[in-house]
Amino acid sequence: MPLKAFVGHVRFLARQGLGLLWVPQVISLVRGEYTCPNLLGLPDLVRQYVSPSVRLLTPVLDARRGKRQLDRGYLSWGLQFAALPRVLRAWQKACVVQRSWEEEQGRGHPAGSALTILLLGPGYLVDDAYLNGNLQRKLQELGVAVVRADLPDAVTVPACRYLTKRPYWTTTRRALGALEHFRRTVDGVISIAPFGCGAEAMQGVLVNQRLRGANLPYLELYVDEHSSPVGLHTRLEAFCDLLERKKSG
Amino acid sequence: MRVTFPHLGNAYIAVESLLRGLGHEPVTPPPTNRRTLERGSFHSPAELCLPFKIALGNMLDGLDQGADCVLMIGGWGPCRLGYYAEIQRLLLEAVGRDVEFITLEVPRGIYSRYWNHFRRLTSGARLGHVLRGARLAWAKLNAVEALENLALQTRPRETQHAMTTQFLKRQLDLVRRAASLKEVEDVLHSARQGFLQLRESGSGQGWPLRLGVVGEIYTVVEPLANLNLEERLGNLGVEVVRTISLAGWVTDHIFKKALGCDITAPLRRLAAGYLRGFVGGHGLETIARSAALAKERVDGIVHILPLSCMPEVVAKGILPAVSRDHQIPVLSLVVDEHTAECGFQTRLEAFVDLVQRRVGQRVGQKQACLPWS
Repeated sequence: MPLKAFVGHVRFLARQGLGLLWVPQVISLVRGEYTCPNLLGLPDLVRQYVSPSVRLLTPVLDARRGKRQLDRGYLSWGLQFAALPRVLRAWQKACVVQRSWEEEQGRGHPAGSALTILLLGPGYLVDDAYLNGNLQRKLQELGVAVVRADLPDAVTVPACRYLTKRPYWTTTRRALGALEHFRRTVDGVISIAPFGCGAEAMQGVLVNQRLRGANLPYLELYVDEHSSPVGLHTRLEAFCDLLERKKSG
Repeated sequence: MRVTFPHLGNAYIAVESLLRGLGHEPVTPPPTNRRTLERGSFHSPAELCLPFKIALGNMLDGLDQGADCVLMIGGWGPCRLGYYAEIQRLLLEAVGRDVEFITLEVPRGIYSRYWNHFRRLTSGARLGHVLRGARLAWAKLNAVEALENLALQTRPRETQHAMTTQFLKRQLDLVRRAASLKEVEDVLHSARQGFLQLRESGSGQGWPLRLGVVGEIYTVVEPLANLNLEERLGNLGVEVVRTISLAGWVTDHIFKKALGCDITAPLRRLAAGYLRGFVGGHGLETIARSAALAKERVDGIVHILPLSCMPEVVAKGILPAVSRDHQIPVLSLVVDEHTAECGFQTRLEAFVDLVQRRVGQRVGQKQACLPWS
């Protein structure tokens, strides 16, 4: 479904008479891991849906052989537009911003609410109020504090050590790492995934297995282009009722 | 050890020889059937793909027959196959079947685990036996493949309905029982003659249509997963051109990968202009082989994939472009445990009809022939 949304965006932009479109091919962000296979073929897929007059800008981001390869991908893409010194300056600036953002993520643990929930799911779904049926807003209305799974890799990689085989999808590994990290501080776990997402189906089994002994309620949500926000909200309300009852004993 | 393993087409014939060579007792699960699928689906999450469910069903069947160890292949993504074994182990554990899993994959991470697996597999085996077993397994794998290809060519030309399928079954059984390289060769030799006899003599009726089959490997080679696609097409009078071979897969993904060869380069060349590289699973192969088939002037392409297969979804999105550029009809079939036979058959018939009409128009006369025309 997110692919369909992406193609929708692309076609809207192309209709505006755009000549240049930025569609990166994100193969891998962490050494030895992959993003989703659908992202691997994203530029080629998009190519089929826009007219040949639109030029696609596709930097290849591939960290399978380590972070240095990824950096080279960024730099060589930048070199198409400017000379090396300028590219390097821009690169450094970007790194600083990224680092400060990452530090911010690690900190804020919202306190003061009655219930805290860990929200697992890919960023394109968790942050898109339209695709996820306004999930975050609804949780806010229900008086629930939400913890996101965006933790730096330095936390999530060691947290996944308990698994016999490390998952090779970055989102899955991050979600499982966040689960380990927050397991003792949250009251419940919600995961949201697009229907047909392959990695998510496996992640569900791993999360279930981990939570079975921990006495932590877990709600799995799947959305597609036919799901209605109303049904979603009912399930959220029921889940939060359950959490409240459990907490008050 | 009594070792069981999931089915992959007729690969069990070779795997049995390999395991015997290693000094283990193979516990081959009964041929995959509806019940296997139902059992597997019952214990798996709904969103997982069809091959996973069937493999899990096979494992449960094998364990019922007294196996104490499961042999499985692994990998490092991005296709889900690489993580199958881990999830299947957890699911089996959850239903109280705590068994040992031996995963064959390129070692990474905790090396002691792989060393233990290797020791478990090879302990108590003499090198000579292992080598002989491996050679026999390889010969059998190639023989099975050759027989299946012969059947594909014979089926549209057979004189009596369903004779080819029966004959193939008998020959596969002979290969399975063969104990030496010589026997395998003999079976293959006599089978070649046998297949020739099944064909109708004379070429009065013209040639059959040729359709290529591409897609995810499991759904291409496993008859239950694809509802006997090859047999159905054959009975419709179509010669199926297979693009995926098990022996080729083993060479590419086990030997060449272990040696660090780049197996995608020739495929990337074929897929140039459509897909720039590896998307996991058989996504790149599907596009590359489709383009190659189109150049070989095959009459049409059937693309088969399990529901929610990530790499093939990408391929499915790009295939229409291949179809448009090369003027070749493509039929994409998505299968899962709910696929009904009748709907499947109807779609195949309609597609074959369409291809036949196209070919007839191109040649100017009705030269391509079907049994009902």
